[in-house]
Amino acid sequence: MAHFDTEYQRLEASYSDSPPGEENLLVHVPEGSKSPWHHIENLDLFFQRISFKNGFTCMLLGEIFELVQLVFVVAFTVFLANCVDYDILFANKFVNHTDSSKVTLPDAFLPVDVCSARIRDSVLVIFILIISGVFWLHRLVKFIYNICCYWEIRSFYINALKMSMTDLPYFTWQEVQGRIIEIQKEHQICIHKKELTELDIYHRILRFKNYMVAMVNKSLLPVRFRLPLLGDTVFYTRGLKYNFELIFFWGPGSLFENEWSLKPEYKRGGNRLELADRLSSRILWIGIANLLLCPVILIWQILYAFFSYTEVIKREPGSLGARCWSLYGRFYLRHFNELDHELMSRLSKGYKASSKYMNCFMSPLLTVVAKNVAFFAGSILAVLIALTIYDEDVLAVEHVLSSITLLGICVTVCRSFIPDKHMVFCPEQLLKVILAHIHYMPDHWQGNAHRYETRDEFAQLFQYKAVSNVFILEELLSPVITPFILIFCLRRKSLEIIDFFRNFTVDVVGVGDTCSFAQMDVRQHGHPAWMSAGKTEASIYQQAEDGKTELSLMHFAITNPHWQPPRESTHFISLLKEKVHREANPAFTSTHSLQSDSEPHSLIANLLMGPPSLASLHLGREGSINPVSIGVSEGASALRALSPVSTSLHLRGSYPSARLPRPDHPAVVAGRAMAGSGTDARTISSGSSAWEGQLTSMVLSEYASTEMSIHALYMHEMHKQQSRGEVSRHAWHGQESDESSESVNEDMEAARTFPRSSTFPTTSHQAGAAQQSGSQRRYGGTSDPVSGSFRAQRTPRMPMGGWSEENQMSRHHDPVPEEGSEDELPPHIHKFCKVFHCE
Amino acid sequence: MNCRSEVLEVSVEGRQVEEAMLAVLHTILLHRSTGKFHYKKEGTYSIGTVGTQDVDCDFIDFTFVRVSSDELDRVIRKAVAEFKDALGNSGSDGMGQISLEFYQKKKSRWPFSDECIPWEVWSIKVNVVNLANEQERQICREKVGEKLGEKVINIVEVINRHDYLPKMPTQSEVDNVFDTSLKDVQPYLYKITYQITDSLGTSVSTTMRRLIKDTLAL
Repeated sequence: MAHFDTEYQRLEASYSDSPPGEENLLVHVPEGSKSPWHHIENLDLFFQRISFKNGFTCMLLGEIFELVQLVFVVAFTVFLANCVDYDILFANKFVNHTDSSKVTLPDAFLPVDVCSARIRDSVLVIFILIISGVFWLHRLVKFIYNICCYWEIRSFYINALKMSMTDLPYFTWQEVQGRIIEIQKEHQICIHKKELTELDIYHRILRFKNYMVAMVNKSLLPVRFRLPLLGDTVFYTRGLKYNFELIFFWGPGSLFENEWSLKPEYKRGGNRLELADRLSSRILWIGIANLLLCPVILIWQILYAFFSYTEVIKREPGSLGARCWSLYGRFYLRHFNELDHELMSRLSKGYKASSKYMNCFMSPLLTVVAKNVAFFAGSILAVLIALTIYDEDVLAVEHVLSSITLLGICVTVCRSFIPDKHMVFCPEQLLKVILAHIHYMPDHWQGNAHRYETRDEFAQLFQYKAVSNVFILEELLSPVITPFILIFCLRRKSLEIIDFFRNFTVDVVGVGDTCSFAQMDVRQHGHPAWMSAGKTEASIYQQAEDGKTELSLMHFAITNPHWQPPRESTHFISLLKEKVHREANPAFTSTHSLQSDSEPHSLIANLLMGPPSLASLHLGREGSINPVSIGVSEGASALRALSPVSTSLHLRGSYPSARLPRPDHPAVVAGRAMAGSGTDARTISSGSSAWEGQLTSMVLSEYASTEMSIHALYMHEMHKQQSRGEVSRHAWHGQESDESSESVNEDMEAARTFPRSSTFPTTSHQAGAAQQSGSQRRYGGTSDPVSGSFRAQRTPRMPMGGWSEENQMSRHHDPVPEEGSEDELPPHIHKFCKVFHCE
Repeated sequence: MNCRSEVLEVSVEGRQVEEAMLAVLHTILLHRSTGKFHYKKEGTYSIGTVGTQDVDCDFIDFTFVRVSSDELDRVIRKAVAEFKDALGNSGSDGMGQISLEFYQKKKSRWPFSDECIPWEVWSIKVNVVNLANEQERQICREKVGEKLGEKVINIVEVINRHDYLPKMPTQSEVDNVFDTSLKDVQPYLYKITYQITDSLGTSVSTTMRRLIKDTLAL
């Protein structure tokens, strides 16, 4: 190699290394890294830890107790097995006491040396102790590591987010998230982009959960089984879930290279068969490992269940009859991009209605039997108790205490089979209320709420505690069954799994590989039967079932009002919101009365004004006109009774509108707008100082959940109509077109008469912004960090030179060209946009 | 994940590997090096000068520019030579990948060692082709030269973007950002690693390491 020296030579200078006489001309000031929060390596974990948000002490104590509990369970079991002389305890053998005849507990303990000798002699005990010791040490290391991480998060909260630990419980997640987004501008915790979006944060936190939700949604995981005696059953336990995650996401040789990227070979279609083979052999090995570990896990489960639940069952046997959301239910009902706490609060709101619904189905036969058993058991119990009260020596008689306990349990169990006397059988309505909270249900439940099939299927989501994961049965069976499911069911699906991961993984700049369903792109994964007809380009394979994409999109947009969705989604959201508004709130159209026949029935007005009976009366009368709102308002009026939000809405919103039913009055307008939707309320509130403070955001997140409930009901009603419409399209066609032409007028009217409504300007602004950035995108600049904040993210990893061709070929989700999308929109959307552009 | 990653792919003949790798790595490092910092009082500093040098390749019709620092050149050459040997010894179909990773150190508290957090990774995938006769070699010589020219342009484009770079450090922190061991030039902290892809499987040691890391991270 020849070297040519250019004129750019390093100055062979003295120490100062700058041209003579110019030492002080070019001087730099280092910025330094003032905060330690720039450029965090593993943002996934970082955000996950932030989202726990429980406060440092809580986490610390929780972890410590977990460790202590482990030691306790093992130690106590060993002690019970080896160091207790049961003969003394059962009084089969008498103790020779000199001072008194009483037997004390310490008498029953064996002396230390005997005890330790017994432990040393038994190989099994030593084996168990060693295994649990190793496990415990592992947990200890993890604990120390976690504590360090929590400490870091704590200082992040305090120093960067400026939230003190004492105030933390008062902040909602949305506020924390807002601050993180602010922080990014300053500290650049993520280096790919100047600004983070809400969706980025959610994607990182829920990367694997989204995959699991999508897999459950596409019925890829073997969790439903048709058994000979039990019929359709769902088996999904924590052990199984752990194994799935081990196989797919983080176990040795899993599909993921690290937390944020799928291994490159899985992204290519070329050797899918080979990969499927490898996956299936891995599953086989993991299944065998499970089988080998089965006894250990089983023993642990039994001990743990015994120690934690025996006391509860003795204290309140009724909890056996109580229900809870099953693990499968939690995945079935979860939106894409929904955090744990959001899901749980939503499901908890539906809890009451759900248990009411389940209680509707008490079998009369069982009731009669239960009543009589309870009577007999109760009378014996009463006698025994009465005798005991009279003379407590009765207790000393053998088995009296145990029979009292048993009878008590028996009575309580029987009582749980006897329905409440004041229970009304109204399953349809209850199911509507449930739907308002849980947001998902299969189509065939609609109108079949009274059938036992529906009830049984609902019971799969909403199990008896005694059966489900929390309690005993399934979780105890799990170690035994899991290996077989892995070996015989999951292995067969390995090719489908490989295909799933290849087809539904997109590489988002700044986030890494995520499940493409979680992008909530109506165009790519929309289901035509769920209001995205005409917008979606998904094949059947790509469509998310049960309207998951659409509902998730709505949910995310409502819970994160500052999020700027991509363009098609903006259209979808604004169209839907506007429809819901129109049918829900009369204030936006002509007049105020509920009776005017051009006017669909006000949902929220019902919710707020008139008593429920009156409202449903109205609906009953008007129901023939538009079945959509009936269903919706039926649920909503029931919702009103249940939800604490609507009562607060009632207090705040309805006050002015009830007194002054003139729509032009500003107070009414404000009140209605506020009541109309959470978004309105949010924007209004941001202006007025009275609403500031932490209370606001809590109240607003409550609004958001109510708003989402209404949207979910509405979407389900629309879906129902649509699927019915497919049967009798004729009847609907006329009305449909009528409506659309009407809606334009209404839009314009709304825009004119209601210039200070807060939602509409926002929508138009969003649409405008989206269009603008859309056009920017078209002229290149895919990686422009500002305009590309949402869609441009989907560019595959930096095509340099010739390398990514193969990659692109195999990828099914290349960005769809923008051209022509304008034309696909229904005509009234066009007008809708134009109206606001004129404004 | 929190790091940019750029991937380049080249197909070269066996004897061109070394020069091609040097060309790419030196081009990147040319843009990721500064002169030595000289800190002065009041927390300011001045930057020393850096010379450049043209290097002609023997087996490729190509000339590239590198920082005129022999020390840096020696380090890079050593890494590339190792890579070349490994590639030659692997006996497989001659696929390999060399990565240049820029990272930042973060001081941690006592029980942990300093974290090295990468912020940019350049991976160069090499595909070694075998050529039959002299004529093909001649064509390859020109074509690889052209390709490398394109790569250099690509690299410059990427580097020209306004992306994240570590902030200029104060005197005490300079070791966390820059490699200060060289006398005449000061590149960002970097690491060169390579791997020879013989099969899809990962080695046992990486699996074990991942297993331990995963359990810790859980």
